Amino acid sequence: MDENKGLQNKDEREEKEEENQPKSSSLVEKIQQLGQTNVPQAPDSNIHVLSIIGQIEGHVQLPPQNKTTKYEHVLPQLIAIEQNPKIEGLVIILNTVGGDVEAGLALSEMIASISKPTVSIVLGGGHSIGVPIAVASDYSFIVPTATMTIHPIRLTGLVIGVPQTFEYLDKMQERVIQFVVSHSNIKEEKFKELMFAKGNLTRDIGTNVVGEDAVEYGLIDEVGGVKNAMKKVNQFIDENQTGQKGVIQ
Amino acid sequence: MILYTPLSETDIFPTSEDTYNKRCCVTHNGKMLYVEETSSGSYELLQLLSTDPHDFMDATFNPGTTFKG
Repeated sequence: MDENKGLQNKDEREEKEEENQPKSSSLVEKIQQLGQTNVPQAPDSNIHVLSIIGQIEGHVQLPPQNKTTKYEHVLPQLIAIEQNPKIEGLVIILNTVGGDVEAGLALSEMIASISKPTVSIVLGGGHSIGVPIAVASDYSFIVPTATMTIHPIRLTGLVIGVPQTFEYLDKMQERVIQFVVSHSNIKEEKFKELMFAKGNLTRDIGTNVVGEDAVEYGLIDEVGGVKNAMKKVNQFIDENQTGQKGVIQ
Repeated sequence: MILYTPLSETDIFPTSEDTYNKRCCVTHNGKMLYVEETSSGSYELLQLLSTDPHDFMDATFNPGTTFKG
């Protein structure tokens, strides 16, 4: 009798365990996926965030192990931001090693020509073509530990028509320099000096500029992080709104 | 084998076309997702393509989530 009771209890326990299993296994799945279980919900945001991470992928598809930001994904998002009246500001988060020059310049021009306030934060690194993207916004921040590598543009792969390609690359580099100079406070001479400096980088000419130095050179507007960037974008939004009210009156 | 070259690893050992073909962009519940087809035929979420920070709060769009094909 007692034995039977014991068995029954065991069965009940097993049933209970089975009931609990789906819940716990989904939890385990979530932890395996991202190391997080649940996240808080909040009301709709009037500030959107564009993260530019990994390599800027342009005309050539990069191998799958590379983390990339594809410009064909980002460009429609920027148009959507411009069109959506609920979105009042844009924060661009940069942690990129650089990438396709034309794709990077396309992104930079898109960001620079958006009518809504844009603020960028350079976290970790904003190298090569990340520099024009960082300066394309209305106001740029860099965290003290972030670095930006400024170096001449390069080309890998087969080259047909060397003199023509050289001239084309030279013009392309000039476009990058002009964009950075016209969208930041850095002087052209200083930017070129950093770009062609010798002895700083192991396998290349150029300079690796750290957070505060980038601000000192006038490349980036201010040293700061998320707090400063959100404050700045909200300030721009307020200014925009008061400006619009003034026009109506 | 030791290679002494300025070329990147993928220039010497190119990635097969299959790995590219397995990846695609899909729309699921109005969100743009970058997914990869797994060996079991389902799709694993690689990246959520959105600028709305709240979309990233939605646990159903965590990277690594699998969707039935």
